[in-house]
Formats: sequence, C-alpha cells, structure tokens
Amino acid sequence: MPDLAQAPSPSARSQTGSVIKVEDVSKFFQTPSQENLGALLNIDLEIRHGEFVTIVGPSGCGKSTLLKLIAGFSPVSGGRILFQGEEVRGLNTRVGYVPQESKLFPWLTVEENVGFGLSPKKYSRADRERQVSYFIKLAGLSGFEKYYPAQLSGGMGKRASIIRALAYEPAVILMDEPFGPLDAQTRMVLQDELLKIWEQKRQTIVFVTHDLVEAVALADRVVVMTHRPGKIKDVIKINMARPRNIFEIHRQDGFDDAYGRLWNIFRHELNIGRPSEQDS
Amino acid sequence: MTDQVGQQRSETTQPKPTATPKSIFSRTVTVTLIRSGIVVGFFLAWEFASGRWIEPFLISSPSRIFTSLFSGFYSGDLVQHTWVTFLEVAIGFPIGAITGIALGYGFGRSRLLAEIFEPIIIALNGIPRTALAPLFIVWLGIGLWSKVGVVFLLTFFLNFFNTYTGMRQMDHEYVDLAGLMGVKGWKLTFKVIFPAISPYVFTGIRTSIPFAVIGAIVGEFVAATEGVGFFIRMSAGIFRTADVFVGIIVLMIMVIIMDKIAEAVERKALRWQTQKEHVQIQG
Repeated sequence: MPDLAQAPSPSARSQTGSVIKVEDVSKFFQTPSQENLGALLNIDLEIRHGEFVTIVGPSGCGKSTLLKLIAGFSPVSGGRILFQGEEVRGLNTRVGYVPQESKLFPWLTVEENVGFGLSPKKYSRADRERQVSYFIKLAGLSGFEKYYPAQLSGGMGKRASIIRALAYEPAVILMDEPFGPLDAQTRMVLQDELLKIWEQKRQTIVFVTHDLVEAVALADRVVVMTHRPGKIKDVIKINMARPRNIFEIHRQDGFDDAYGRLWNIFRHELNIGRPSEQDS
Repeated sequence: MTDQVGQQRSETTQPKPTATPKSIFSRTVTVTLIRSGIVVGFFLAWEFASGRWIEPFLISSPSRIFTSLFSGFYSGDLVQHTWVTFLEVAIGFPIGAITGIALGYGFGRSRLLAEIFEPIIIALNGIPRTALAPLFIVWLGIGLWSKVGVVFLLTFFLNFFNTYTGMRQMDHEYVDLAGLMGVKGWKLTFKVIFPAISPYVFTGIRTSIPFAVIGAIVGEFVAATEGVGFFIRMSAGIFRTADVFVGIIVLMIMVIIMDKIAEAVERKALRWQTQKEHVQIQG
C-alpha cells in the first residue's frame, strides 16, 4: 500500500490534499446477548481531495459502517477520524450522504428536497433557486420539480437523492451502495451520469459497493475490505484514463488488469470467508 | 365497537373480485339500495311500533324527535345548550391535543425526559379518566371550566400516546440526513420530524375527537346548568324521550362535523402520501 506509506503531518493538510484520515479505527456493536461484535478492526485510510474512492467487500464486512463513522452518525470505538484535520465528533456537516434507499423526504417535492440543505445563511434566495434548477437539469429531472418522491421511479428517486447531497456543496460525498437495488440498465446510465457530474465538480467521493465492475469503473482507487471484523485488505490504484466510457468499460485500457488484480484478492477473500461464516 | 363490527363486515364483502366496471357499478347500486332499505325500514318500524306495541315515553318515535328537534332550535333553547357544549370542546380539545402532541414530541426527543416520566404517565393512563369528572367539578365548579378540564384530560392522553409512538417509530435516518445538511432547531422540528410523524399525530387527533365530546357530556351529566349533556339528563328525568334523542343527534352531528374538518386537514397535510399519479419513465 504505497499510498498509505507517506503519512503527512496533520498540520500539512492543505499541501497533501488529504480530506479524510482514518487512523486505527475500530467499531464494535453490542449484540443483544451482550457480546461485542467487531464490525471494523484497525482501519487506516487516507482519502485525498478530489479523489473518487470505492470501497468493496463481502456483505457484512462493515463498509457501510465505515461510511457512517465518517458521517458521524455513530461514534468510533477506537482510533480517530480526521476530517480536514479536525477530529469527527457528532454529525459531520461537511459531508453529503447518499443512503442505500433514496431516503428523499417524502413530504417534500423534488425541488424542495434538492434545496433542503441550502441554508439561507449561505445562499441567497436567487442563488438557491439557481443552484436547485442547475442540479435538477443536470440530473435530467426537469419537469418533475413539483413531484413528490412517491411519484418517481426508482432511478429518478436515486438521481434526486444524489443531487440533494451534491447541491449544498459539501467537501465530500459519501455514497452507500446507491445503485444497489436498480436494474442493470438504469444502473449503467446512472453510473455514467455520476461520472460526468464528477468530472465537472471534482468533489471527493467515497463510494461503497459490492459490485467489482462498478468499483473499478468509477474509482481512482479501490479499497478492498475483508470479512467481519472488517479490515483493509488492499488498496488498488486504477490506472484508467478519464473521462471513461461506462458502457464500453470492458474495452478500456487498464480495465482487465485492474479487474484481474481485484478479483484475485477477492477470490481469496471468498475462500476464507465461507468457513468462518459457518463457524459463527 | 359497533363501528369495528361494521368495518369487518364490509371488509369481508369487498375483496370479492369484480371483473368489469359495469359489474362494479351495479354492485355499488345494489349495496346502496340495500343499505338505504335497511335504514328506512328501521325508521318505519320504529314509527309504527311506537304507541302500538311500545310506550312512546320509552322509545319516542322518529316523527316526535323530528318535531322536537325543530322546536328546540326554533325556541333557541337547544341552540344555547349546543353552544355551551361546543365551547367546552372548542377550548378543551385544542389545549389537550397541543399539550399531548408537544409532550409526546418532547419525550421522543429527550431520552432523560422519557425515562423519568414514562412510568408516571402510563400509571396515570391507567385511571379511568371519566371517573375523575366529579373531582373536576369540586376543583373548578359546575361551570364551563370543569368540563373543559375533563375534555382536556381525555384528549391529552390519546394525543400524547399517538405522538410518542410516532416519535419512536420514526425512521431516524431522516433526522440524521437533515442533520448532515446542517438543518437543526425549528426547521428540523417542523420540516422533518413533524412531517415524519404526522400520520401518527393525525391518528391521535381523529381518535380523540369523539372522546372530547364524551368528556364534555360526562362533565355535564355530573353537574351542570346548561349544555347538551345537561339537556339529555334533564329530558330523561322528566320522560321527554324525544328530547333525549334530539340531544344525541346533536352530539352525533357535532362529532361528524369535527371529524370531517380533521379529515380534510389531514388529507391536505398528508397529500404527499396519497398522491397516486405515478410517472412511468425508465431510469
């Protein structure tokens, strides 16, 4: 892991461009039988400004938990998470979060949802309207501004959920398997759109998925996690040119190589994953 | 109770699949015809039986009730009684509902508050509240305020429990997401939490409407000089059975009107839930 080797001093965050530093983080949950369930163990990870990082791992490896810790939804059990040099304590209001289900506020219309995070202190009324209509247009939701989430299709709801997180311009967007429940076709269209938006905005994105192709296709770096308790197994740098063509991603230079390396690690992980699952 | 039985019955008859719109139409017509037939038949039988098989002072008759209703309103006597009861409900119900909702919200927001007071509230809820009506008369006199007190008490608990349940059932991810967006304070309360629990809040409000009216009537039964409850008790005491029924009809109408208003407000507030016009676009 050459990326992690060069640990910068905390004060030099602007020079190194590190946004998130996860330092020796562990997380345990109390099960009803009072046992400690280890979800994450000694995680070290550094995410640089403007980077697109995907996290893959078998289900239940704690990849979503890691995102929730960065967002500050729950406290770490050990270690610490630095966000722009400051330790995360309580809700981290400088990140945007796209949950597994869209979780749009069902009582607000699409445009109200998208504009919800734009505080009147930071955005004037005109700015706010401009920002909302810009993102609605970007996501191809023009004409659906006044619709309620219940009236939208799954893919449209997903788009709205993503631009809701983008619209208030947080430093980092955390995405928790956002395309999981969608059909393959919609998925690809949305991946393509996400990359296009990202090319323009270059916000830092941390994207959790269980789909290896998706992980390679989107990322600058792929973080591979092991089965519970989740540890970082490896970090793979993806040397593929941008902008990428999601629909022809298999033919792009560097894809086979990156996917092959990822699959090798993952196959190993599946083999040791199974017996321990039967044990527990 | 009778409502529930009626609902169950209609539920068992409804799901029978009806193939064409035409058969659905003829079905509605049949149902309406039979229903009206039963109601009209009941009133005819009542009218016929009264004075022939059963003494009128026991069951009165539809025609007598109708006459009493009009003469009561015409003399202004009934209007005054109705107004008094309405006033008791109109003061006690909103105060009870708002206090219940506010406290339910507070308990949902503060673990400490909930831990301290929850057992106390549950214990208090165990008291048959109408039994407290005489106590309210002692404390607040036989006038308006003792009835307002009983109405408050009956309304409060239903609203409190429903709101508190809503707070516990609420999907907390909405609050977390709003928090990440930097939303807090009144905006978090009124733009996120209350909409999220609003179905529960409205259930509380609507179930407490009949109980608010019951509260006022029980208070008036115990001790009063005016009000529909007083009117009913007095009429029964002098065997003016028709007037008893008139009082009951007035109360029924009062509850129905209040419920219709609440229903309309609910439908407007929860229209995001009921919007059924879907978009069918791929992606």
